[in-house]
Amino acid sequence: MAPWLILLTIGIPWLGGLCVWWTGDKHPRLQHALASAFAVIGGLVSLGLLTIPSNEVVVRVPVGSAFGDFTFVADGLGIYLAIIAAVIGGLAVIFSKDYMEGEEQLGRYYSITFLFIGAMIGLVLSNSLLLMFLFWEITAFCSYALISFHNDDPKAVAGGIKALIMTQVGGVGLLAGAVITYAYLGSYQISEFLQNAGTLPSGVLGLIAFGFVIAAAAKSAQVPFQTWLPDAMEAPTPISALIHAATMVNAGVYLLARFYPAFEAVPGWKYTVMIVGLTSALLAALTAVFTNDLKRTLAYSTISQLGYMVYAVGTGAVFASQFHLFSHSVFKALLFLGAGAVIHASGTRDMREMGGLKAQMPFVRTVFVIGALALAGLPITNGFFSKELVLEQGLAHGPTWAYICMLVGAGLTGLYSLRMVLMVFYGEPYAGKKIHDAPAAMRFSLTLLALGTLTTWLLVGPFSELLADSLPFHQIQLTETLETCLEIVTAGATWIALAVVLLGMSLWLLHNAFAKAAKPLQPLTDFISGGFGFEWLNRLVVRATKGAASALQFTQTGLLSWNLVYIVGGLIVVLALIAWGG
Amino acid sequence: MNGIWLTFGFAAVLGLLGVGLYGLLISRNLIKLVVALQISVKAVLLGLVLAGNISGSINLGQSLAITVIVTDTVVAVIGMALAIQIRRQLGTLDVRDISRLKG
Amino acid sequence: MIYTTLLALVAIVFAVLAIQARRLLVSALWLAGVSAVISVVFYLLGGRQVAVIELSVGAGLVTVLFAFAISIAGEDLGKIKPAVPTVIPVALALLFFLLLAWFSIPTGALQPPQGEPGLADVIWGQRGMDVLVQVVLIFAGVLGLLGLLAETKGPLAYPVAKEYAAKRDRELEALMKEREEREKL
Repeated sequence: MAPWLILLTIGIPWLGGLCVWWTGDKHPRLQHALASAFAVIGGLVSLGLLTIPSNEVVVRVPVGSAFGDFTFVADGLGIYLAIIAAVIGGLAVIFSKDYMEGEEQLGRYYSITFLFIGAMIGLVLSNSLLLMFLFWEITAFCSYALISFHNDDPKAVAGGIKALIMTQVGGVGLLAGAVITYAYLGSYQISEFLQNAGTLPSGVLGLIAFGFVIAAAAKSAQVPFQTWLPDAMEAPTPISALIHAATMVNAGVYLLARFYPAFEAVPGWKYTVMIVGLTSALLAALTAVFTNDLKRTLAYSTISQLGYMVYAVGTGAVFASQFHLFSHSVFKALLFLGAGAVIHASGTRDMREMGGLKAQMPFVRTVFVIGALALAGLPITNGFFSKELVLEQGLAHGPTWAYICMLVGAGLTGLYSLRMVLMVFYGEPYAGKKIHDAPAAMRFSLTLLALGTLTTWLLVGPFSELLADSLPFHQIQLTETLETCLEIVTAGATWIALAVVLLGMSLWLLHNAFAKAAKPLQPLTDFISGGFGFEWLNRLVVRATKGAASALQFTQTGLLSWNLVYIVGGLIVVLALIAWGG
Repeated sequence: MNGIWLTFGFAAVLGLLGVGLYGLLISRNLIKLVVALQISVKAVLLGLVLAGNISGSINLGQSLAITVIVTDTVVAVIGMALAIQIRRQLGTLDVRDISRLKG
Repeated sequence: MIYTTLLALVAIVFAVLAIQARRLLVSALWLAGVSAVISVVFYLLGGRQVAVIELSVGAGLVTVLFAFAISIAGEDLGKIKPAVPTVIPVALALLFFLLLAWFSIPTGALQPPQGEPGLADVIWGQRGMDVLVQVVLIFAGVLGLLGLLAETKGPLAYPVAKEYAAKRDRELEALMKEREEREKL
């Protein structure tokens, strides 16, 4: 039963992708219907995973002695992320029915989306490092294909390639860690690695640990790899919801959480992770304040919230980070899909060209405000409970100066959330365009997500039970929903944080008063909007690579014979190395 | 099979492989290239059957060799189809002329 | 054993002849010769079934395919000078031979043979996955063939093909003129 459940959860999205591709682009309505059907089925099947949490190996596929076994384990960490990927991904697919109305090449769109969802589920459920790497690479490819879906738009293509290259750098870190593990322990199985991590020499364990930090930082768009995420906003908005809320960026945080028991003893690892999370959270929050593009603001907020989760792992509060991941998936997907509805209706992504939309899009305004409340961390949304838990645990287990920085970040979050809502929905209407409210399929997804945002915090008790029972190495404490909520609500840290958030919001409301004082600070603003100099660094790297490529162009003769010479020459070099080394 | 013949046997395999590789690099005609590829594969087959013989499991060697024969026939077929198509579209089978890179 | 080695040497000689033959059809025929000799070697080494298969496929099917392809593609006025300087292929082939020889040729005798299941058992039992892969491969090959040989554009639809056709016509004219002048003398 359990093996079937796992294989179905991965296989149904993949089957859906295949079916939608087969129906061909001449039947778009059939494609939309099939896609939505498979999305619903996939989501429901994934909920079935809740019945089988265990840390036993459920599916084992031997693939030869060099690669170990490809195994799947359905433990709590994997199950809840698989459910998020399937359900929220499914909601994004349903949303696409209206968003991609009239678009071409739906077969390519849906099939790659489903491939993505299936691969993400496989990633979190796999117990073999090599299998996880395989799924990791599939998600990287799918993200590239989807970000550059509008492949006649050079910005989209550039964004896709940037995402691909940066996440591949992370993939190298993961592969290096996996291979080193195999070399020392003789097995790719994650459960064995967690059990025997103490037996590895400390230098080697440190190498693996920091390799995984690089992989996680690249995938979750943390400093110094954060520049790909804002540029990935060229993707169609449901895809942004999929990639940046439901699936891909969660993979990095998942990696850190999964391997935390093995790496927590490595000197400097927790500190590095905490610093990475902190820097990303602050940098991104600051940049979001100055961004005028609606989706880019949400992108920076994603980086920032992921920074919170990474910071939580760095201070040792793994449960808090996973709870925040859970809440974030729901409310960020809500925000992205809501933004999608707005962009679809108004035709622009620039917030300065929107305004006063509350009259024409009341439904979207309501759900978007709920999402923004969750983002800012105000009660009674799930974002409130999870963010407060993160801050409280961070104060308890980590240095106080880090907590203060995260508090500032929370204030900034409140600031830009309010700014976003006010610029889009309130104020004077910008242009006299005929704006329609969200159509039915969009409303369906948005409603479900909004309800989720308001209620998923109630699941914290069963959630902790799920994680505690099936993760033997993580030492997660069991808590009850009521107990946790009471603890959060009565902690002093919570009230401090709420005060800071409200302070941030009020600062925005008064921002006009600061406008004159801010004029001489314009260069600073430009620096911040330019991504704190990281974009300049990227451009430098690209120019250097292109220069090297031009210099080496003489070797590309295009002659088949020369290519064969290089192939045979390479073969001889490899043989010589083997002969010399063996 | 004792020592010296074993050595000669493997030397023959390597010699054939070397000839095949040499042909691969020196051929100017695409179909000649496929011929050279085929020679290399024959060398590999010889090596497989030889290994099967000396390790006692000749049938394992044979079944692997059969797999390789199937594979290399398919490769030859596709290679020749490619050559035919190139000849049709570009009018030539000369390696130097079918290069499309400028500069 | 001596016959095996001698035949292998004959195969190498045939292979060299195949490479340096000027006409494509001659090259294909020498390849058939290599196939035939190799299949005899297989037989002498104990692989009787694979010898039959190699003879029929290598010396039969592949040679027919070559003849077919050469008849469609046509022979070129064969230029001999290779595209890369000759020293490079010779050096690489020699290096390859020496390297592999250095660390792969065994110098001692090996263990005596033990009992083994029949060929059919090995193919279908131990190597069953191989059979599956071969089926997929053949299927893929057929699909590839159909896709490659589909008639899409006419032979001279690409501009670069026109250049080559013109070049060939000019060379043919030059040859004709040469022949006429030789006949005049």
